[in-house]
Amino acid sequence: MWDFHVRSLDASTILTIAALSELIGQRAGILNVGIEGVMLFGATLGFIAAKITGSYLLGFLVAIAIGGLIGLLHGFFSITLGGDQVVNGMGIWILGFGLTAYIGYPYTGPLGMERIPKIMGLSPFFFVGIALIIITWFVLSKTSLGLRIRSVGENPSVAEVSGINVTRTRYLSVITSGMLMGFAGAIYSLDYNPVWNYNFIMGWGFIALALVFFSMWNPFILLGGSILFGSLWQLSLNPQLVLPGILSRYVWRMVPFAMTIIVLLLMSTKWFRIRWGAAKPEALGQPYVKG
Amino acid sequence: MKLGNYEVKLEKRLELTAWEAATISILAIFVALALVSFIFLQAGVNPLTGYKEIFTYAFANPFGLPLTINRSIFLLLCTCAFIIPIRAGLWNIGMAGQLYVGALAAFAVAFAFGAKESHSLDLSPGIVIPLMMVAAALGGAAIGAIAGFLKGRFNTNEIVVTMMLNFITFWLVPFMIKEGGLFMGASGEGEGFKLSSSIYAPLIMGVPFTIFIALGLAVLLYFLFAKTKIGYQIKAYGLSPAAAKYAGISSFKIPLLVFIMGGAIAGLAGYHYFAAVPGVYKITKNYGDFGDLAFYGIICGLISQGNPLAAIPFALLFGGLTNGGRFVQGKLKLGFGIDYALLGVLMIILVAFQFFYRYKIVWMKTEKEK
Repeated sequence: MWDFHVRSLDASTILTIAALSELIGQRAGILNVGIEGVMLFGATLGFIAAKITGSYLLGFLVAIAIGGLIGLLHGFFSITLGGDQVVNGMGIWILGFGLTAYIGYPYTGPLGMERIPKIMGLSPFFFVGIALIIITWFVLSKTSLGLRIRSVGENPSVAEVSGINVTRTRYLSVITSGMLMGFAGAIYSLDYNPVWNYNFIMGWGFIALALVFFSMWNPFILLGGSILFGSLWQLSLNPQLVLPGILSRYVWRMVPFAMTIIVLLLMSTKWFRIRWGAAKPEALGQPYVKG
Repeated sequence: MKLGNYEVKLEKRLELTAWEAATISILAIFVALALVSFIFLQAGVNPLTGYKEIFTYAFANPFGLPLTINRSIFLLLCTCAFIIPIRAGLWNIGMAGQLYVGALAAFAVAFAFGAKESHSLDLSPGIVIPLMMVAAALGGAAIGAIAGFLKGRFNTNEIVVTMMLNFITFWLVPFMIKEGGLFMGASGEGEGFKLSSSIYAPLIMGVPFTIFIALGLAVLLYFLFAKTKIGYQIKAYGLSPAAAKYAGISSFKIPLLVFIMGGAIAGLAGYHYFAAVPGVYKITKNYGDFGDLAFYGIICGLISQGNPLAAIPFALLFGGLTNGGRFVQGKLKLGFGIDYALLGVLMIILVAFQFFYRYKIVWMKTEKEK
């Protein structure tokens, strides 16, 4: 049972970091629905880099770098070209899905490296995740940089007038966001489950996207939601731990996805909607045109 | 920007003619194919040879051509399933889930008639086949309706919901066809049961009759959007749900309706691939591949700008490219999954080219300054 909780926290860590990255971008007004694609890129290229060089560090660096690059690409489409952010995000997801299926295929199978050592039985990335939550909260709500990021997400025209460079701030957020998405993907493929298989992120990016909406852009609610979903995911893989012998294992695999829909439904209640409307970055998804 | 004697400028388009849109789409495809040719270069194959092999197999080979046509019918149906919601500004990325359930529903009808028991059972095709198709459409529509209802009633994000439904239904299929599931085949090798040969879909010159359904639907949808009130309402909702509401268009009914229609068509795509394509006639082990293939419907729908008639040649092209791609990777010893790589590259190039739907490049000869 202890193992189960540890494993759940490992899964939660990935969801936390993935959702946190999306939160950072959204705070600056950039919606990236292609988070799954960026995670696939980070996970696949990080896995390949680690497998070739035998170095975990290089694997993570490659994953972070490619995540940053894809973030830059999303920024270019959404900020410079001013296109529809949903279309751009969809493009990034399908690019990630298609291209990594091709690139990673020759590396199908286990990583075959000594596992990353645990700290008190937990993955070291659990602590990284907690630290990132606190840092993000601190930067966003206690520093002038955070104020700048939030203001370009709320009202870019006003931000521009008050001397904030909207384009630069949005690029900064979207690249940071991409780097963290790539990192989250690499934690999956290098630590949580070091086996490459095509499309192995299995919708976690989309679950993370739902979690950000659910969190009302608050990093701590986000952490709570991620832990819930991490546990649910682990339960869906090992239902025998709690309810032995009930329902087919295939039915259990559906549960986290069904729960995501239920969470989205909860958000439509009046209680939620009022708070949600107040918390939502006002300019989310809207391109900013100077002038 | 200046290039020699010319001034190059970006200019905002005031309108986009069908001709310009087609040019941009075709250019985008060429750029994507040029990028994918790096895969050929990497394997030491001349890209022109590679593409020639792909197109020859896909369109001029007695084995390849029927496979291309079957894939194209499937893609055209998936494209229509994507187009209806996108005209209302909604993203249906749940074609995969809708077609899995469509296929399961079609096989449920065959199961009810006892087709699982015996391959040689003599069933009346005139009754069972239409019933299977109705069931497939209803099954797909039911899954689509979930996303449409939630969008219309609670304004939930349809992208997340349809994606979640894809995963839920992805696990529903093995529940039915594996490990003692109701539809498990006799061999027990993780496949569904095989249809009785009496209810194989009729072939017309080797092509399943579903080709007429796909083409007919494309024509029908074209007229729906061009001529009917409901088509107009869908487009109005797509431009601005808030403005449409003031014009008396229900912001509940439109999302529900477009997802029911889209889901029903995706359900038929499921019927087509698993119950009408010669040599298949069962829910296969690799059913997930066809869910992935359905994502080409997104590309096809975007590239044809939501025009179902324009989608026909693109569906044929992508049906050929994916089919030929699978063939050459074996023949020319390339890496697995060229069709997947092409899917990704095409999509991102298409997104990049969206820019040219809004802007055009203008060349002007600069006046010589004296």
